[in-house]
Amino acid sequence: MPPKINPAFVEKVLVRFIRDEFARCGCGRGLLGLSGGLDSAVCAALAARALGPDAVLGLIMPYGRAFPGDVRDAVALARRLDIRAETIDIAPQVDLYFASRPEADRGRRGNKMARERMAILYDHSAREAGLVLGTSNKTELLLGYGTIYGDMACAINPMGDLYKTQVRELAAHLGIPAAIRRKAPTAGLWPGQTDEGDIGLAYEEIDDILCRLVEGRGSRREIIEAGHASAAVDLVLRRVRSSQFKRALPPIAKLSTRSVGHDFLYPYDRER
Amino acid sequence: MCYLFPMKIAVAQIAPKLGDVEANVGLHLDILEKARKQRAGLVVFPELSLTGYTLKDLAEEVALDPAADPRFRRLVARTKGLSAVVGFVEESPSDPGLLYNAAAFIADGRIVHIHRKVFLPTAGIFEEAKFFAQGRDFRAFDAPCGRTGLLVCRDFLQFGSSYVHYAAGAGVIICVSAAPGRGVGDGDTFETARMWELMGEAVSFFATAYVVYANRAGSEDGVTFAGGSFVYAPGGRLVARAAAVDPDLLCCALDPAAVARARKAWLFKRDEKPEAVWRSLERIVRASED
Repeated sequence: MPPKINPAFVEKVLVRFIRDEFARCGCGRGLLGLSGGLDSAVCAALAARALGPDAVLGLIMPYGRAFPGDVRDAVALARRLDIRAETIDIAPQVDLYFASRPEADRGRRGNKMARERMAILYDHSAREAGLVLGTSNKTELLLGYGTIYGDMACAINPMGDLYKTQVRELAAHLGIPAAIRRKAPTAGLWPGQTDEGDIGLAYEEIDDILCRLVEGRGSRREIIEAGHASAAVDLVLRRVRSSQFKRALPPIAKLSTRSVGHDFLYPYDRER
Repeated sequence: MCYLFPMKIAVAQIAPKLGDVEANVGLHLDILEKARKQRAGLVVFPELSLTGYTLKDLAEEVALDPAADPRFRRLVARTKGLSAVVGFVEESPSDPGLLYNAAAFIADGRIVHIHRKVFLPTAGIFEEAKFFAQGRDFRAFDAPCGRTGLLVCRDFLQFGSSYVHYAAGAGVIICVSAAPGRGVGDGDTFETARMWELMGEAVSFFATAYVVYANRAGSEDGVTFAGGSFVYAPGGRLVARAAAVDPDLLCCALDPAAVARARKAWLFKRDEKPEAVWRSLERIVRASED
């Protein structure tokens, strides 16, 4: 399993990271999508600690009345953290688009919803002169379990190096309510969807395989010998390999002697 | 007889502004004044303290010639009556076009010594050899705190570097660092912090020397620097340790007489045979060239 973390130390590092990044941009305000789930709750709590609750806006963007429980949890969380919250129903704009595309399957519809939420977040980012905080965790990033240019889009990501099981540890430390911590993780793309049902494995098993692969630099054979079913290991390996494009910027065809993305290399945090 | 006096040292665990030499000179001057008020005789800043660490191609924009650059000269001029170690990107007229990750020991308004980082980590998150030229020498020098050896970050983890300073008689080994924190477990800091202290403790014990380790704080491009600067006295005694991650100004005493005392109690230095090490190394190097 990924190592047990000292959540107080992790909180300190992540709060500092958020403060540093916002200070560099000369930006005091942050916003994020609040789904009513664990990851966005943790990210909101970190942002509230780093920037002050008044400086954080949580956008609750349900698709109609598909997930009333999640909306209630998100509203309650915003109140508890004392951050600002706005609710925007994305159903009208999504339905309008798909009205003339009835053949679209739920995968396409789900991705469209994730990208509508992204577009709304970035519009509010301009309105607020604020930065969008990403909520993807390490497990999702490694599996590619996210919509590229959708929920993966952000200005900074404080949680991308924490496995899902570690996010749970941090959530308990940050006082995230049990109602959010105990519910089955879901991308919320259609009713009844759960991450673990989608992927086909429990997060504990996924995280153990990933940690042996990534930090442990273990081979397929070594991970199977450690007690994992070969089908489970292959499933995880396949997802990691096939989703590399979601973890890198698109390649630029090189022509000149110095090119963006190849050898014109500057730090992201170059003083602005 | 030891002719050197005890002094107070200050380790400036700062978070420089990436790529902004002017702002960082200001930060250095502020801290020099603060340290002066606390009667520090030596102030040690971290690796690349004038520029920040994650420079990439910015390295060539912030490179400076320490002998001529007015900002650097302003800093040097403000060390009247004390010593300071600062980190910067060096591009000298004698070596045009070559950029070095360098640290200067400045004392009483004069540059005493410049060390160019020899071991440039280039793997994983590190890419120094892509942007910097390699230093090729470890040379101890005499300073107000006694014979001193300067190392930059990874130099210190290659344990031959400290040995060379020790063999040259250094009683103070100063390592300036920009060490990112890596690995979170159930401890109060990053797991890699232990690696530096382990080496600090071992070197201070077996080289019977002070080890002053100045790491930086803050974050760049998502990487958090681990802080945790420390001072070990000869014999492996931890004198002081700075905060993890956060900026700090660590002040403690450095008594050059402690080196002599330790070398009387533990005879490693007296019994050292650099000529035997040299002959063996020469044979090994020759064999590897064949």
